[in-house]
Amino acid sequence: MKYLFATLVAWFLAVLNVSALPYMKIIGVTPDLVLILAACYAVLRPQDEAMIAVPIAGLMHDLTNGDPLGASVLGFAPLVLLAAVVRIRAVETQLIPALIVVSAGTLTWGAVRMSVLAVTGQEVQWFDATLRVIVPLAVVNTLFLPLIYMPLSWFSAAQRQGIMGGGRITSPL
Amino acid sequence: MRLVWWLTTVLGISVISIFLSHHGATDPVQNLTLTVSAPIQGGLRDLAGPINDAFLGITDRGDLKRDNERLREELEALKNQLAAQQDAELRVRELEDALGLKRNRPEDTLLAADVIAEEPSGLKRAIAINRGLDDGLDEGMIVLSRAGSVVGTVSRVYNDFAWIRLVTDPESAINAQVHLASAPAGAGGNDVLTPDGPGTEASATPAPSATPAAPQTVRAVAKGDQRSGIVLDLLPSDAVINPGDLVVTSGLGGNFPRGLLLGSIRDVEERPQAPFKSATLEPAATMSGLETVLVLVSFKPARLTGP
Repeated sequence: MKYLFATLVAWFLAVLNVSALPYMKIIGVTPDLVLILAACYAVLRPQDEAMIAVPIAGLMHDLTNGDPLGASVLGFAPLVLLAAVVRIRAVETQLIPALIVVSAGTLTWGAVRMSVLAVTGQEVQWFDATLRVIVPLAVVNTLFLPLIYMPLSWFSAAQRQGIMGGGRITSPL
Repeated sequence: MRLVWWLTTVLGISVISIFLSHHGATDPVQNLTLTVSAPIQGGLRDLAGPINDAFLGITDRGDLKRDNERLREELEALKNQLAAQQDAELRVRELEDALGLKRNRPEDTLLAADVIAEEPSGLKRAIAINRGLDDGLDEGMIVLSRAGSVVGTVSRVYNDFAWIRLVTDPESAINAQVHLASAPAGAGGNDVLTPDGPGTEASATPAPSATPAAPQTVRAVAKGDQRSGIVLDLLPSDAVINPGDLVVTSGLGGNFPRGLLLGSIRDVEERPQAPFKSATLEPAATMSGLETVLVLVSFKPARLTGP
């Protein structure tokens, strides 16, 4: 059930990404909500879950934006590794690890995606694309992190405690 | 160790999947996904436009933006007319020179399509439209704005949908020609067309009774660029090009019909001792926020008609 929910959320965000969000450009780029979701999932949820949900998010990303199927699955994979590296429990909040994973994950995703484009025979302007797209996208994705992080964090906390408000509920995650 | 196995599996599946996708094996899946999501995407785009306008309106920019868009469309249409007129003058001159050579070009047949998605990352510049193989589309076909300027070409086509590579995409390269609006007589390189034919010197002071000179052109290649949008490359170093000069497709190579407006010159970059110079283009069509485009279905690019 939790994977179905994650799939639906990832699909909706992917659709939002290619339809409404291109109207909103911040420093020339559009935030990638699916990548942010995958990064938050990798940080906030158990690693076993992330190993399934993150590739699903990548698949939804590819299905909606015309990339070769598998490009974002590959591009999102480092998010799970990054989350494993930065998962230091010394701090109470997981926001800082999430910020690190989103920004570093955007950079690695950009590198993987440009490599895939190059391997499939497409023109890639490495320097300009890095400077004008990938780095600004890392900044913008980091700024938009709270939009996804907060609800997901809330659901995760609710599931851990098993109690939310006055009654007992089962979190969709 | 578990992570390593997982990563190896994901890597293997992804590479196989990318290979299959690159060769079109996953097209039905992607077509199905777009079929399911297209109505939602259309709805979200319809919703986002007014919200965006309203947001801009808070800072009193909504009216300005609308006026700007209207004026841009009018300007684009006028530039199209001017480019068509200049091209027609040139064509008449060439036809006169060719003494009876007839060129038949069938009437353009255009297919309107709604834009349902836009590539958001910026690494590629592409849009998706709600027309595909079933509507007669094929890869390489030309896509125009409502005013008739070049927007891009069909790069990937599914049964009911297609992805369009915009002219600003780094992968895009189009044979173009610049109409030199204010070129002095005698200016231009070997590619300059004059009434007497290519490469001939024109008189510095034309006789008073001479007919008005046809617009001169220089050929170049318009390439998509991550930084500048469109860069006009391989311009002859001795060509006199000024900001505002119109750039149209040259028809060379057979992948584009001749005379379609690409844009106008924004800046010219000259490098001392370089054999060619380059220029940046202001695209005639507005590339962001496109809602409707026209596919030129009557023109078959050379790739489709070749042996």
